[in-house]
Amino acid sequence: MKQRARFSRTAVVGGAALALVLSLSGCGGGSDAADGDTIHVLVYGDAANKVEKELVATFNKTSKVKAVLDTIPGADYQAKLQTIINSKQAPDVFFNWGGGSIKPFVDAGLLLPLDPFIDKDPDLKAKFLPSVFNSAVVDGTSYGVPMRGTQPVLLFNNGKVLKKAGVEPPKTWDDLLAAVKALKVDGVTPIALGGGDRWPTLMWFEYLYDRIAGPELFQKALDGDKDAWASQDSRKALGKIRELVDAGAFGTNYDSVKFTDQGSPTLLATGRAGFELMGSWAYSTQQDAHPEFAKSDLGYSAFPSVEGGRGDQANVVGNTNNFYSVLKKTKHPQAVAAFLKLMYSDQFVKAQLSIGNLPTTTNTEGLLDTAASPEFAKFQYDMVKAAPAFQLSWDQAYPQAAATAMYQSLQQFFNGSMDEDAFIKAMQALPTS
Amino acid sequence: MTRNAPPPADSGAVRSAGSSGSGSSGAGRPGFLWAVPAAVFFGLFAIVPLIMVAVLSFASWDGLSDPEFTGLDNWRTLLDDPVMIKSLWLSVLLTVLGVAVQTPLSILLGVWAAGHQRNRAVLSAIYFVPLLLSIAAVSVLWRAVLDPNLGVPAHATWLFGDGNLFGTQATAIGVLVFVSTWQFTPLHTLIYQGAARAVPPVLYQAAQIDGAGRVRQFFHITLPQLRNSIITSVILMVVGGLTTFDTVLILTQGGPGSDTTISAYYMYQKAFKSFDYGAASAIALLLVLVSTVISLIVVRLSGYDKMRSTMEGL
Repeated sequence: MKQRARFSRTAVVGGAALALVLSLSGCGGGSDAADGDTIHVLVYGDAANKVEKELVATFNKTSKVKAVLDTIPGADYQAKLQTIINSKQAPDVFFNWGGGSIKPFVDAGLLLPLDPFIDKDPDLKAKFLPSVFNSAVVDGTSYGVPMRGTQPVLLFNNGKVLKKAGVEPPKTWDDLLAAVKALKVDGVTPIALGGGDRWPTLMWFEYLYDRIAGPELFQKALDGDKDAWASQDSRKALGKIRELVDAGAFGTNYDSVKFTDQGSPTLLATGRAGFELMGSWAYSTQQDAHPEFAKSDLGYSAFPSVEGGRGDQANVVGNTNNFYSVLKKTKHPQAVAAFLKLMYSDQFVKAQLSIGNLPTTTNTEGLLDTAASPEFAKFQYDMVKAAPAFQLSWDQAYPQAAATAMYQSLQQFFNGSMDEDAFIKAMQALPTS
Repeated sequence: MTRNAPPPADSGAVRSAGSSGSGSSGAGRPGFLWAVPAAVFFGLFAIVPLIMVAVLSFASWDGLSDPEFTGLDNWRTLLDDPVMIKSLWLSVLLTVLGVAVQTPLSILLGVWAAGHQRNRAVLSAIYFVPLLLSIAAVSVLWRAVLDPNLGVPAHATWLFGDGNLFGTQATAIGVLVFVSTWQFTPLHTLIYQGAARAVPPVLYQAAQIDGAGRVRQFFHITLPQLRNSIITSVILMVVGGLTTFDTVLILTQGGPGSDTTISAYYMYQKAFKSFDYGAASAIALLLVLVSTVISLIVVRLSGYDKMRSTMEGL
């Protein structure tokens, strides 16, 4: 009796172990379904997928090769992409942020140059605003086609708060300093800043460097010229940041505030702050969380000019757009080319506009009236179209490997725990390729 | 250790097999096959990855092209990296602070909760709730509660000042310690509650006859009787402290600057933000080495390896 019990128990345990091993070895296989005639399109999973689904459906109506849309939830996108891009599970076409986000893939020889497509169909380049299209050009070769909306950074304001303090949206740096003073007298935080997220702090650096030195300084630094960070213009920009922070423009607790958990938008919406420098998505954030405020008091303007600065007042910084890039090993380059052509179709533009995105195609202008917020869409479109240069966010222009150290130094310089020289040294130490 | 927790399901079986099988050959000890599931599991998910990490720590790899062996490069940069050295100290600091705050708190709560009064039972059941929540949820919750403008600090400026809790190193570490204390003290309270209930009542009766008061009883009977539980609980805290990650990820992201970038989080940044798997592997291996040394020290100092019964002479 006991003997038998023991035997069966042993058998169960052994069987379980065997099953475990078998199931584990099953993991590696992956699923290679017979998808000879499909192209896989991998995108960042969020609300905009609605449009991507529509376009895939449109494409599949006429194409022999069918497109399949795969989505990865936002926060995991970059890590997952990095893991699969050089494996069997790699997609044919994938979403990215241009610039530094695709540079490593280009360097590893994974991406298909799009210039042959463009030679065949010049519209694939000509139909997009050049300042945007160019941010997916790596070493003179085009690797991406814009596929969502542009997100320039604007200086948002609370009209009611400004009025009470007798302040206008600032045109110059001195206006801004004066506004900060007036708002402080009124007892509000002049500028809301989600410093806990760090990238909102970055926006102040991007604009000041651009206004003072023009886009060339950053480009030089990105190309590996370490002296750019130590130049006089660089020091001047850092001085302006110090001046603004020390003037109390951001209050004292900005490093504990975040944009992503509604901290800073709420400050602006509830009248506890006068301004917030933020990407254009702040508009829809406010519409969702504070619809009344968005309708009546939410204002916006371009970043002020800086006297004596070399940069054009009309320059813009932000996320130029998202892009579709193509993997070299795709089996259906013709189908992919046909798919990419949809990215400047009227259907695409209308669909993006309806969900609040602002596409960067030349035919967008005529369709702006169909946008969710036509006035705001027009303001942004004119701004981006008129911009001589559109600076891609630094954290996206630099290789991924630089992001963490960059954020750390930005935050530390901003809150005063790192001085100018240490900051310059830290930026010089960032990997550029 | 005294048997204060319900015995695990299999220990009863083994013990009965052992006692009834005395004399008959081969029935006493479980066969080698029994170790297979655990050994396979441990091998696949601990040993193999550890070896791969060790190999990777000598290579440069971004996950795209093939790993390239670079000899000691990763190690050299790592040991020169001020953030790395700082992160090790921060890990140790967080662990020490965690133990120092949680141990007295959970001993007091555990001993208190060991009483059989109804109100104590109800309160300790409520107090157990934080342990049931996920660390991620708890961290998100506290992030919101501690928002300087919209959370508690805005209404208690006498305590929090401008509420810049995540903006300075001292307060950011304070928040991390507080949140893990809030979450994990109930677990340790539970350990002490069980242990305190297992203290033989005769000891207290004898002490009462000798005229010892409550405080004296606590220090001379309860605490010594809890010795083995304290060791267990401290080791759990040390392990938990050294592997802290979720709270840092959600509450501070290692900030301000790199002021709360503990080693485990630094490893994550290197691997999944910078895609520098070689450097991340080196950090991981370093963390394994440091943790091994620390746990050896703890085992030595505490006498965990030759844990003596607290029931001697009873």
